Amino acid sequence: MRALLVLLVAKWRMCLHGIASAKAQSKLKIAVVTLFVIAMWVAVFILFCWGFGFLKRFNPGGVESQLQTLGEIVTVQIISLLFLAVFMMLVFSNVLVAFTTLYRSAEVEYLFSSPLRFSELFTARFVECIVFSSWAIIFLGSPLVLSYGIVYDAPWYFYVVSGALLIPFLLIPAAIGVTVTMLFARIFPRVNRALLIMLGAAAAVLLFLYLERTFDVDKLSGEHVLRAIMDAMDNTQSPFLPSFWLAQGVLSSAVQDLRTSLFYFLLLLSNGLILFRLSLFVASRMYYPGWAALRASEQTKPHIRGKGILGCVDSWLRFIRPRTRSLVVKDIKMFWRDVAQWSQFALFFGLMAVYVANLRAAGYSYLSTPIWKNAVSFLNLGATSLILATLTSRFIFPLISLEGKRFWVIGLAPVKMRELLWQKFWLSFTTSISFTLGVIVISSIMLKLEPLLMLISCGTILLMSFSLSGLAVGLGAVYPNFREDNPAKIVSGLGGTLNFLVSIAYIIIVVGVQAVLFWARAVKLVGEGRTFAAMLAGTVVFVAVLSAVATLVPMSLGLKNLERMEF
Amino acid sequence: MVGTVRKSLLLKGFEMIRIEGLTKRFGSKVAVNNLNMEVFPGEFFSFLGPNGAGKTTTIKMVAGLLIPTEGRAFVYGKDVQVDPVGAKQVVGYIPDRPFLYEKLTGREFLGFVGGLYEMDGKGLDSKTEELMELFDVLDAADFLVEEYSHGMKQKLSFCAAFLHEPRVVIVDEPWVGLDPRSIRFLKNYLKERVRGGMCVFMSTHTLSIAEEVSNRVGIINGGNLIAVGTVEEIMALKASRDFEDMFLQLTAEEEEI
Repeated sequence: MRALLVLLVAKWRMCLHGIASAKAQSKLKIAVVTLFVIAMWVAVFILFCWGFGFLKRFNPGGVESQLQTLGEIVTVQIISLLFLAVFMMLVFSNVLVAFTTLYRSAEVEYLFSSPLRFSELFTARFVECIVFSSWAIIFLGSPLVLSYGIVYDAPWYFYVVSGALLIPFLLIPAAIGVTVTMLFARIFPRVNRALLIMLGAAAAVLLFLYLERTFDVDKLSGEHVLRAIMDAMDNTQSPFLPSFWLAQGVLSSAVQDLRTSLFYFLLLLSNGLILFRLSLFVASRMYYPGWAALRASEQTKPHIRGKGILGCVDSWLRFIRPRTRSLVVKDIKMFWRDVAQWSQFALFFGLMAVYVANLRAAGYSYLSTPIWKNAVSFLNLGATSLILATLTSRFIFPLISLEGKRFWVIGLAPVKMRELLWQKFWLSFTTSISFTLGVIVISSIMLKLEPLLMLISCGTILLMSFSLSGLAVGLGAVYPNFREDNPAKIVSGLGGTLNFLVSIAYIIIVVGVQAVLFWARAVKLVGEGRTFAAMLAGTVVFVAVLSAVATLVPMSLGLKNLERMEF
Repeated sequence: MVGTVRKSLLLKGFEMIRIEGLTKRFGSKVAVNNLNMEVFPGEFFSFLGPNGAGKTTTIKMVAGLLIPTEGRAFVYGKDVQVDPVGAKQVVGYIPDRPFLYEKLTGREFLGFVGGLYEMDGKGLDSKTEELMELFDVLDAADFLVEEYSHGMKQKLSFCAAFLHEPRVVIVDEPWVGLDPRSIRFLKNYLKERVRGGMCVFMSTHTLSIAEEVSNRVGIINGGNLIAVGTVEEIMALKASRDFEDMFLQLTAEEEEI
């Protein structure tokens, strides 16, 4: 127990030193990032307040069941659904984090060599796993609880009870995720991370398809809408789900029913502890053998030049000058040989395929009026640009950071930072445009859009590929994280979050401006003639200028930062 | 050894490395303080000092990996900060800890480094093959770097450093992780290249090797250069017969001061 305490105290100190080291960074950088993080929290809080406020007043038929309005019943269902989603995400994120924390971390080797009791070693890693996988959920979940409490005038202890319920709740997905990881690592040491991630990805796609079927879009019309929602929500209300216990515990304390809250707290705690005990048992049998087997089964397959796709990339890109080509080829090879990278890329395209396939079911009947045509067209543009922003944020932003401790190789070579930065930009642009332009063309054809709207959509995606690539590469150079080798962790840092938020803001402006203009045309606020043409030209110029600014400003800031950088 | 120095000094048309008032501060800590020195063509210069003395900081400033707070470093007549690309064309650098691209094979890594120096085609291929064979990593050429031992990674960084035929080689503690056979090979290889006119600027803690291979040594302590000269000249400063004793005396005195 003492050793466990020593380990946790050391981790805590490292965390404090990490926070203290932020002082050494630029004040402007800290201010901007802090402001964005607070703004994001406040935005989520306002959104929930608005949503709960709306639902509280929502009672179309004047129905009241046991003093609850219809809106209040729906609120309960929505909270259950959100908690279920959180639960599923936590299980998935714990599986991924557990693999790194228990098996891949260099620290584990040191810990195994120390005279630590096995249970202490495992518990320390388990706690780290919970913290890493759950902090973001707590950050984004806090405005939900706070807004619910404020809207429904909950007593002060509602907040305390909610916090208390969260602790045993977090234990359950962590224990499940860690146990699943240990079982897989032991059973399939050779296919380790690839299999885990692919299974996780398959599970995520299945969940997505399940939810999509549950929320049948066709039913969401007219008088059937409420029944459809209620039917769907009932699936999330199984009394065997920990998310249900959390929801019931939280909601009971809001109506001052502390006995019920205590019951669900104890239910969560007992289940959490039993599952933790179970994972400890599994760990005692499988963790060390699994860890040792994984290390012994590292692949030793040669990669012969000229064989396979990766072996030929260099000869295919002969038209590029050697310096740029070697950087491009290196980036491509590093990407495809990192299982975590390509498997997430595969998941990403799986979801994109689901999106395109579903467009057929979007219902052409909606497209009968110009207003619907415009709405669907710009929603499609918005969705595709969000796909693009996710692509650049997840895969492009970390490119500079991934040079990491190896940056000395480039820093030492006669390569100008300008060359390096623009190489990343063009790599990002060419890969992202080839996918997103394909999606926008296919989706526009499937939605039978008019030629002008199709042209606008394609042109906008082209500009966005420039600007979102510029943003991701530029901000990636402004906020590099050379200490981290895991791209998922780099993206979840402050710089990655800022990049995603700025990308979203840019998309909202670009799509919004055009959508408003076409809406005005559809409702005859603007005529079809010269006025519309002039306004369209103005909008295109505005979008082009904004895109140029969004490309060049972050690229220039990133370049300045790289040129000042020491290795 | 002194005779060799005299001969090499005759070779000097200009300095391969020239350091003028080089200073590096990290916050209030002065890591390197007003350093002035030169290294000449055909010279093996060893840079010695206790841990934290400022050796790696100096080396990184000369290689262009750190920006000096004050002063200038010239390599082959080019200011490293003013014309970094020109200076880097002639430098080969081997760091103390070889962080390499783990997901590339050894051969691919050398291909990548060659590309950065605008090398291409058969010339690059044959040079890669030659160096990998010379440094005894050819058998592992098509395996990912992540599977290499520390010593093999070190040998691979040597291959990378010599790929573009540098005129100046900067080496930071190169002996760590190498087996005795590799150490002997490396010493002989570096001496042979120095005889061919190359300049080696090496930081090390292994005094016996520094004594054996160096034309001149510089001793740095607390960021200050406290002695420069041939091994014999420096030993004469303390009338010592043992290089290690002399080094310990010299660095201890500085600390007391």
